[in-house]
Amino acid sequence: MPEKLTSVLSKFYDEYVNNTPKRLKLVDAYLLYIVLTGVFQFIYCALVGTFPFNSFLSGFISSVGSFVLAVCLRLQVNAQNKNEFTGISPERAFADFIFASVILHLVVMNFIG
Amino acid sequence: MAKVTSVVWLFAAVVVGQALTPSTFLTTIDKARLKSVFEAAFPVNDVINAHYSILGLKMMNIPVPNSQEACKKVTSLVDAKSVSSLYHASGAAKALGSCKVNAANAQAFLSESIKDTASVADIFSAFFALKNLGLSVDNSKVSKALAEALKKDDSPLSYGYAFLVSAEIGGDVKKMFDSIEDIVAQADEVDEKYLQFEGGLYATALVIDAAYKLSETAKKAPTIPEEKVLKFANYFLSRKHVHQTRSAYHLLSVVKTLTENKYHIPVAVTLASSVAVSQSMSTVQVRVSNLMGAPLGPLTVVADSAKHLRDDAIVLSKKPFSAKDESLYEINFMESKPAPGFYRLTISATPKKADKRFLGTSGAFVEVKVTTQVSIENVEIGIADKDQTTASRTTKLQYPKKAANTFEADSHQKIIMKFQLKDKSSSKSVSAHQTFVKLTNQNTNQEIVFVAQTESSGGYKFDLDVGANAKEFGQLSGKYGMELIVGDAVIENPFSWSLADVELNFADAPTPKTKESQYAKKPEIKHMFREPEKRPPAVVSTVFTALVLLPLAILFICWMKIGANISNFPMSLSAVGFHVCLAGIFGLYYLYFTCLNMFDTVRYLGLLAIPTFLFGNRLLSSIAAKRKQEMMKSAQVRVQKDQHNIRKGEKQ
Repeated sequence: MPEKLTSVLSKFYDEYVNNTPKRLKLVDAYLLYIVLTGVFQFIYCALVGTFPFNSFLSGFISSVGSFVLAVCLRLQVNAQNKNEFTGISPERAFADFIFASVILHLVVMNFIG
Repeated sequence: MAKVTSVVWLFAAVVVGQALTPSTFLTTIDKARLKSVFEAAFPVNDVINAHYSILGLKMMNIPVPNSQEACKKVTSLVDAKSVSSLYHASGAAKALGSCKVNAANAQAFLSESIKDTASVADIFSAFFALKNLGLSVDNSKVSKALAEALKKDDSPLSYGYAFLVSAEIGGDVKKMFDSIEDIVAQADEVDEKYLQFEGGLYATALVIDAAYKLSETAKKAPTIPEEKVLKFANYFLSRKHVHQTRSAYHLLSVVKTLTENKYHIPVAVTLASSVAVSQSMSTVQVRVSNLMGAPLGPLTVVADSAKHLRDDAIVLSKKPFSAKDESLYEINFMESKPAPGFYRLTISATPKKADKRFLGTSGAFVEVKVTTQVSIENVEIGIADKDQTTASRTTKLQYPKKAANTFEADSHQKIIMKFQLKDKSSSKSVSAHQTFVKLTNQNTNQEIVFVAQTESSGGYKFDLDVGANAKEFGQLSGKYGMELIVGDAVIENPFSWSLADVELNFADAPTPKTKESQYAKKPEIKHMFREPEKRPPAVVSTVFTALVLLPLAILFICWMKIGANISNFPMSLSAVGFHVCLAGIFGLYYLYFTCLNMFDTVRYLGLLAIPTFLFGNRLLSSIAAKRKQEMMKSAQVRVQKDQHNIRKGEKQ
């Protein structure tokens, strides 16, 4: 079993490395970064306490929001989904992503205290 | 004794009396007081007080002290230019006798004062001054001036003066006499039992006195209803504590008039015996007299009824009094076996020889109380448990002996005492107003008083729950003396009986009394900020800050590995501007976090958004354009390849 699993995983990894466009890999790295940041914040909250609760919330919301926006970007940029997002160029998607992020972080900053 | 009670009865009558018959008269004490009022005016200091005092003393048949000196003083004090001074001085001198006021030109001065424009009081003074000095008076001129003056001032007091002048002049007084009725109608009624004129005692006394003097001259009864005469009489007697010589003289004068005139003589019915009536003092005595306390001749005095004040029971009716002396009458009240309590005796007095002058002969009342002796019986005391209603073992006690043993009770027990109060004469059970049980701490002398409650059976019960009342005792255990106090207005033998000692044990120790006053200054209230929550140690925070920043490093490492081509970065103005603007926006957010407020932030953000949008638009469109070109190129290449392949294929 474990051998199978490792083989599946290694195959999956190879497929990913070879068949994914570089552009999407960059976005995926960004997503990983966001997930890790959110996880660390959550661990802090679980271990130490929620004391500046609004700070924790805004940090976590920032992570979740950014993640959602980045996933949207990835979906729109992905060439495989071209049929579903006709008329939305990668540049347009990127501009939307930037705009939404700016708004999100204004809210986050307002909430941070 | 009789005098004292009559004074007491004055107050009683004020409180309860509605019958109009005067319930007091001018007693010896009152007369002595009036005498002292008059004598206080000597030695003479002013003419007015001297005048009234001399007149008052003369009326009471008391010699004026040192009349020679009084005469000298009066004659030296007289002001020959004042009508009233001349009137008082001449009046005083005349009353003293053998005293002469030397007033030159008095005849001319006083005669001139009697004119149409003069006031009634001045005309009155001038007229009597002339009379007193033995000078001649023009009666018709006086009458005319008086009629003119009364047109201007028709107050009762003015009419009072006019009545006196008319009575002195005599002749046809019909017109003046007829106005008595109108004047009397002007009197104000107080409490439905007094009548008085505006101006108080002096005005009222003078007017009524003058009215009777005038009716003497007119030889007709004054047109004053009997009921009003009684009300005036009540008013005069209610004011017998007067201290002014002028009012005192007129009071004395009018009271005397009301006892001596030919028309109206109010009868005063007063209680002459003690208010309390009991088996040992079973008689009620009443004094029936005129207002000066003089007997009225043989009378038939009957007690019309005697009514218990609380339950309205009538214990006797139409019972005649027997004459003790010419004004004192008595009755044996206890013969009718009245229950203890307060009674109102309604009395009527009819003269044996009919005399129409007597007023208020029926409806007079006196109040007495029937007192009784009580005995205390069936006294039981015992200690019971808290949940029991009766004590299992009781001790019987006999008044006035004290229980031999000490009772002990703790906070789970209660003290129960029962007793009955009985009327000694009828041996019926009675209730008393006051039945208290007093517990006195033997050490501290602190007294705690409880009320013994009546039971439906007619007895009394005292039930003390020791535990529940611990607070009353201040939790102070120890020996207490127990005392029973019984009293009532109708009980002749109220008593306080020390009946037992009790040892009380309270569960808790006495709490030390805090002496702090409830008005003492309280500590100042300071504003408290919310206490900050405990922060985690700095190390933990630092570690997590590092951990949160760590993914950023991972991000860069990943990007490097994947191979982001930074070299592809277009070094155009729009690209640089776009990134600078984005950095600016996030820098602004940081400032918002540290120092700016929302409004400033939004304003700056709006400013920054414009170049960001422009740069971004240009940059992205240029990228898009480039991509399209590339696509076009690659498409061309592909087409060429295809063509090449086709051609190849064709060749093959």
